[in-house]
Amino acid sequence: MKMKRELGLFSAVMMGLSGSIGFEVFVLMDYAYFGLAGSSLVLALLLGGLINLLIMFSYCELSAAIPEVGGEYTYTKAAYGGFVAFASGCLRWLASVFGAALAALTFVRQLSYFFSTTPGLEAIFSASMPLVAIIAIVILAMLDIKGARQAGTMLVVLFLAIFAIFLASGFWHGLTPLNILPKSAPDDLSGVLAATAYVFPMFFGMRALVAGASQIKNPEKNVPRAILLSALLIIPLYCGIAYVAVGVTPGEGPLLNLAAHETMGVAGGILFAIAGMVASLSALGTSISVQSSIARGMSRDGYLPKILLLVHRRFGTPYIATILGSLFIIFFSAMGPVEFLGYAASFGSILVFAVVSLSLLKLRKKKPHLKRAFKAPLYPLTPVAGVAMSFVLLMSPIFVGDVNAINALMSGWGLMALVLLTYYLRMMGRYRLRVAIGGMSLGMGIFTAILTYLSQAKLVPMTLSSGSLYVLISFSIISILAGVLNVTTRTPKIF
Amino acid sequence: MRPSIEVAKKIAAMVIGTVQTTLGGLAVVFAYFLHINFLGLQENLNVLEFVPLFMLILIIFGLFSVISGLYLLAEREKSAQEEDYST
Repeated sequence: MKMKRELGLFSAVMMGLSGSIGFEVFVLMDYAYFGLAGSSLVLALLLGGLINLLIMFSYCELSAAIPEVGGEYTYTKAAYGGFVAFASGCLRWLASVFGAALAALTFVRQLSYFFSTTPGLEAIFSASMPLVAIIAIVILAMLDIKGARQAGTMLVVLFLAIFAIFLASGFWHGLTPLNILPKSAPDDLSGVLAATAYVFPMFFGMRALVAGASQIKNPEKNVPRAILLSALLIIPLYCGIAYVAVGVTPGEGPLLNLAAHETMGVAGGILFAIAGMVASLSALGTSISVQSSIARGMSRDGYLPKILLLVHRRFGTPYIATILGSLFIIFFSAMGPVEFLGYAASFGSILVFAVVSLSLLKLRKKKPHLKRAFKAPLYPLTPVAGVAMSFVLLMSPIFVGDVNAINALMSGWGLMALVLLTYYLRMMGRYRLRVAIGGMSLGMGIFTAILTYLSQAKLVPMTLSSGSLYVLISFSIISILAGVLNVTTRTPKIF
Repeated sequence: MRPSIEVAKKIAAMVIGTVQTTLGGLAVVFAYFLHINFLGLQENLNVLEFVPLFMLILIIFGLFSVISGLYLLAEREKSAQEEDYST
């Protein structure tokens, strides 16, 4: 069924802002300020906003040329097809899962802050933090299965009002001059770049516009305009919030809550805690839906098992995809620290951004006559700079030696290896896979036989007891026979 | 292929598949026992320095053996179903 296009430019801008202004602002600035950039957080946010703008040019051109549902997955499929589309879909899925886990932990942190203002409840709550995160995920997954609607777009007005009050009260309260802030600016640029990479998820929510393009009137013109407008509006907003926050925060802790407490009193801290909880719950619900729709999209294209397409008999929602994704979210939110999850969500999306910029370059060559209502300015400099900056953001936290970033990158490589393997196995087909496994079995058998012979002939420094010798000989004979049987199986024209 | 050879091949696939799956499973279990040093296995086998290497080899060999064995068993099931359909 085709959706009705009923949203104008204003609503589209609000959609972009509602995608961007989310829970990330309540959690990511803490580590970026206290652990990475110090008072240069404002500079890191400015840099992040500009890089985001650069990448959004590619999104604008592609969304105008291909105004279809699917966003990045559709663009990469049109440009490269096959593996690149599958990999970008997987990266988006992973980024959603990590983002959802981060949202769950943010909810818990804000709840913890909320209770910390009530003496007595703090100790009881802090003991069961992971449990609260898991309960929140389970409830939202159930709501998603029941088909509950999100009120995400309505929250943006509320947040803008809260941030406006915060900025006004911050300037009214008076800011500490930057040179006497609790943290000094870093000596080199690497800390700022690392902080930029870490806070980058604060910006890229505006690509929600691309996913919602099907609801926007005249998408060829309105989507690019709305993306650029929201990308431009978000920079002064975030820089202003960070400027006030670092200018008033007295000590370590949740940066925004402490700043709000300082400028607006206890009520300010509590107001930000409630806003943070609402934002993180909303983001958690959205991420559960997004990861499920990405998984179903890839399943529809034959990359993932068809079971993910199953819908609930009563509610008509994709419950298998939702439950499976929610299990991953529970695992990551129970295991990973906030800093690790922040980097993991950021790295996944930065890689997708790089692939989108590359898709723009490819499509300009592959389909030069495609109708483009918006063209990225200064082409090819814009997409090339987008790709280059994406890699700078990916590498800068590693150069700083940030353990969380290194762990996130290593986990990312591991997961990408799994993605590659899944793709290879899926595309290879059952018979080819059987022959491949048969070949491996044959190889294992021969290897074990040779190793056993070498050890008996004392050609390798390994002594085998008579028991292990019999086990190894049996293993090699069985492996060789199984390999031969699997390789010589009746197969319908495999090569 | 002659029916007698076909039957012999099916029986061989069933026997070898079962043995290979069992051996593969045992290899993985053995890797776990080696990891937790069950009954002082690491000292008894004198592999203290190479535990991670042995575990890696055992797990890889074990898992491939299980998959290969299951393929053989699945083929037997499949041909049994095909026979049912043809009759």
